[in-house]
Amino acid sequence: MASEAPVSEQHAIDAVLAGDQAAWDVLVNRFSGPLWSAVRAYDLSAADAADAVQGAWLRLVESLHTIRDPDRIGPWLFTTAKREASLLSRRNRGERLIADPAGTEHSHADPALAGQVHPDPAVAVLTADEGRRLWLAVEEMHEPCRSLFRLMATAPDAGVHQLAGRLGMPSGSYGPTRGRCLNRLRTVLTAQEATP
Amino acid sequence: MTRHPPAIDDESLIAALRLTAGQDPVPAHVSAAARAVFGLRLPGAATARPVVTPAPRGVRSADEARLLRFTAAELTVDLEVTSMDGLVDLAGQVSPCPEAGTRVEVRTLHLTESRELSATGQFAVTGLPPGWFSVVCHRPERSPVVTSWTRIRP
Repeated sequence: MASEAPVSEQHAIDAVLAGDQAAWDVLVNRFSGPLWSAVRAYDLSAADAADAVQGAWLRLVESLHTIRDPDRIGPWLFTTAKREASLLSRRNRGERLIADPAGTEHSHADPALAGQVHPDPAVAVLTADEGRRLWLAVEEMHEPCRSLFRLMATAPDAGVHQLAGRLGMPSGSYGPTRGRCLNRLRTVLTAQEATP
Repeated sequence: MTRHPPAIDDESLIAALRLTAGQDPVPAHVSAAARAVFGLRLPGAATARPVVTPAPRGVRSADEARLLRFTAAELTVDLEVTSMDGLVDLAGQVSPCPEAGTRVEVRTLHLTESRELSATGQFAVTGLPPGWFSVVCHRPERSPVVTSWTRIRP
């Protein structure tokens, strides 16, 4: 992410803190796309994904005054959005509640804008360069992983049944296969990093 | 041994692949809402945080009201949330009961409803759109207290 960071982050944050809408819009333009992808990866509907992203921006507005280090805003947004997304995803699979207990459950675990945040390969990977590197690794992989990743990436709204059908596997196999393919991809990436 | 970077979680890998594939761009309304969120900031307000309340007697079901409590240093906001036909009703109690002239705003991403607080510190708003909401308590000559954003989806 460093390569995409504006030169004067501190200046931009000062402007946001001073109430400059244009400076805020710069933040939104920079992070909206990656945040959307980050929450959609939890298999959320568009409405739930929108809620998760909105939740992260609302919490940022709520916490603006605690910003000490502008470099933490990105990781903080991702951590917050992913947490909302994970919660929504679990909720969708299980009990129905009317109101969101997220704040109740996590109020004391809020990542601080001033302090420690998620250490962040998860954020670093959400850049154009890293994405291209991932796809190069995918193209080297065997089937069914290569087809699975291509399909997963190009049909974001397809359900498990549809994806499994197109891959010619039983629905029950899709999740475990995807898990194995992701593990393999991680192994490839780790091996690349270990080989300068 | 080689260095061991922290592993990237599954969802981040999926997100990165999809982001680069470009087939699921962020909808324009999501970015527009994120820009509009800036207009909802309340500099100087004290945030009332959610606290766990003991569950009411009986089994909770989706049809029952949900009770939420938010506390700031000197103020508690209790909310009873019910939903009907996809919309949300809120009934609230501010305690200790603030001075006369206190006004309550219930804010969502789409609309804000304003209410005078009753003499006993109560207020109600009906027919809210589902999604994120926050309640602001504007007291005469004191800084506002605002409940942290909470999501309601029937």
